[in-house]
Amino acid sequence: MSPTPSYEQRLATSRLLHRFNFGPTPGQYVNLLDRGLEATQTAVLEFGRPDPGIIAVGPLPLANLGSYPNGNSAKANEFYKKMNRDTNNLVMWWLDRMAAAHYPLAERMTWFWHGHWATSISAIGYPFPMKKQLTTLRQFALGNFKDMASAMVLDGALNVWLNNNENYIQAPNENLAREFMELMTIGVNHYTQDDVAAAALALTGYSTDYPTGKVSFNPKTHFDVPLSILGELNHYNAENLAALVVSRSENATFIADRVWFRFVSGTTTPPPTLAESFADREIMGLVSALVRSNVWTDPANTMVKSPVEWFIGACRALKVRPSKLNTGDVQYLLTQMGQLPFNPPNVGGWTYGTAWLSGVSFQYRFELAQAIVTAGDLGPLAVEPLNMVQACADWLGVAQWSPRTANALTLSLATPSELALAAILSPEYMVSV
Amino acid sequence: MITCEFDRRRFLQWTGASVFAAMASQLSLESLATAATTSPLPAKTPILVLVTLYGGNDGLNTVVPYTNPVYKSVRSNIALSPSQVLPISDSLAFNSSMPMVRDLFGRRKVAIVQGVSYPNPSLSHFSSMAIWQTASLTGLASGWIGRWLDKQPHSPFNAIGVGSTLPPAFVGEQTVASMVDVGGLQLPWGPVATVLPRLGAPSQSDVTLEAAAATSISDLYSTAKRIGPHMPKSPSGSWIQQQLSLVSALINANVPTRVWEVNLSSFDTHTGEVGDQNSLLADVDTAIGDFMTRISAGSRANDVTVMIYSEFGRRVASNASDGTDHGTSAPVFLIGNRVKGGLYGEQPSLKRLDPNGNLRVTTDFRAIYGGLLHDVLETPVGDIIPSWHGALSVH
Repeated sequence: MSPTPSYEQRLATSRLLHRFNFGPTPGQYVNLLDRGLEATQTAVLEFGRPDPGIIAVGPLPLANLGSYPNGNSAKANEFYKKMNRDTNNLVMWWLDRMAAAHYPLAERMTWFWHGHWATSISAIGYPFPMKKQLTTLRQFALGNFKDMASAMVLDGALNVWLNNNENYIQAPNENLAREFMELMTIGVNHYTQDDVAAAALALTGYSTDYPTGKVSFNPKTHFDVPLSILGELNHYNAENLAALVVSRSENATFIADRVWFRFVSGTTTPPPTLAESFADREIMGLVSALVRSNVWTDPANTMVKSPVEWFIGACRALKVRPSKLNTGDVQYLLTQMGQLPFNPPNVGGWTYGTAWLSGVSFQYRFELAQAIVTAGDLGPLAVEPLNMVQACADWLGVAQWSPRTANALTLSLATPSELALAAILSPEYMVSV
Repeated sequence: MITCEFDRRRFLQWTGASVFAAMASQLSLESLATAATTSPLPAKTPILVLVTLYGGNDGLNTVVPYTNPVYKSVRSNIALSPSQVLPISDSLAFNSSMPMVRDLFGRRKVAIVQGVSYPNPSLSHFSSMAIWQTASLTGLASGWIGRWLDKQPHSPFNAIGVGSTLPPAFVGEQTVASMVDVGGLQLPWGPVATVLPRLGAPSQSDVTLEAAAATSISDLYSTAKRIGPHMPKSPSGSWIQQQLSLVSALINANVPTRVWEVNLSSFDTHTGEVGDQNSLLADVDTAIGDFMTRISAGSRANDVTVMIYSEFGRRVASNASDGTDHGTSAPVFLIGNRVKGGLYGEQPSLKRLDPNGNLRVTTDFRAIYGGLLHDVLETPVGDIIPSWHGALSVH
């Protein structure tokens, strides 16, 4: 038996599990506290092994639904029914994978990249190309960023979302060119308006088929005159534009900053060494450098869990499969809290920090928490009443209850479901301290 | 055609500084509720209502230089014809989707400040909206209303946004504003309902974000108690109309709130602009007309000033997708009974453009904030906007 873990160890272990693995499964927190910080770091980085949780969820086959039908025929009704069904299934399928994964890093990174390449289904409409994009994000989630950027600049859903279907030589549409550089690769102030205008020309000639998200290239409508972008004169297309921006040193800094921002803190900045660990653009190298760094005991590095992260954390702890809940309610409540997958509000992705913590959002959080607890497995609370409050912290991976919360939880000792509900609605569980 | 939506709920400041790095208010639930019920807003206290248009509203198709031949030639695919505008002078006209605001303008209740932006405007939604909402060109972390909140006696009612996530303008260094939602406020029920308010109490051991999470709980209870009874039962109309009708109901109920924020997204009209923008402007117009009617029926008609703004205007020349790309300056609207209506500032030339083909800036938005801080929020501008002294008063 190891000595009682220090507060620092409880804090670091809690942070690593919540931020990189969507929170602990029952018993996992205590187990990792026992095994120590290095073992925890290794455990949260586990990636690439066959995942029994993911296998249990199974694949989600989606059909190509074809063009929109005309008018109000029965065929049209059938089409819209399928669109809604597939969209609903896609959202729930992904949430299920996050909740069920035994090695959640892959899903967690895919979730990060979904917010990074923030594409809403509202533009392309069809779930099929959104799933295609998700597959791309998952394929490169811990791979090389250059490959990811080359694939994503030619992603159909992203091209439609950022108007590249309407980007013509005669009058370029700058939307994709600008956001690709500003929000996805090198960051604002590292390019000029002339670079944006030239990059827009480099991205002409591509068109997207909505139902499949397939992007095709037409050399006749592509601007094939040498362009100067970021000081480099070349015949540009989407692929070598992506290669150019990813080769810039600003790309390493920018992606390292974004990873820090979403996994460590919205208010502190990363040490320069973090970007150095991304010199080869290998995402796994960057993530493992961060996980194995010493930032996890710094009290400043607190975060608010986003609604999906909070929801999935509770589902994992209570062994709830999201699709077994009322899926309409789940999607409505996540929408009200501001975070339904495949529906980022804009190309900048999800918000962060205290913006998730309005009084209004708490009423929806309460309803969602109630649904989880009603369906959930409360086994970990089957202990002596005297030990229940601490058992609850160990179960959920909370480093420490405040006296406020410990006292409030004590009022619910007689009813484990109330105790669980109050615990996942506590300030300590809404944030990753 | 749906364009990429730039939406207020979720914009981030990408320059590295955090707009949300705020301490949460730590008042107890009991003191909040007591303060709220015992302190209605004193008569004649000025009130500011911010209407944020996310995505970059095209100023040139809102207040239209309809007789200018350059306007017609560089925007041939989206230029509004004389039958699609409501003239206010030989050179300028409202988009015909705005009859209510045109009527208020005729009654001298609308000030239009022309050519508004700031030096070296950013063409990024995120950077530009951050500059407008923080009133800082240098990446200040807090919002301008947030810094004003920091200087007020603590109350969750000083500034209220509509929706479920806070606009960065409402996040101060020590204080954040509250939110209400059009859908109403529903308090938790069941046996746990007696436990949850306790989780909203401050704790000495809370880190900043835990305190903010606790405040989200106490805020729900206190706002439900104070505001719930005045919420319209079944909101109707467009999203912006629902928001403004909620605000008018709460203003008429003397809720002690000095600043309100409502918002509308989807102004990022890279494609198919005329239909999309006209419909958005029509929603704003109907909502403003309805709001002014409701306010005029109450006792606060002379207290309220509305400001309508967006993060930037759009490119002077249109693109081939019948839309416009990101631009710079645009008109800002200030509306109210006490507002001295008319045109302010200088309409930027359509010929002397900046090197990117965008309008020059003729008024700095911080001058408008300066006027509002002086006339409405009764606070010296220098206290809120560092190293800025200008004030453009429309009162």
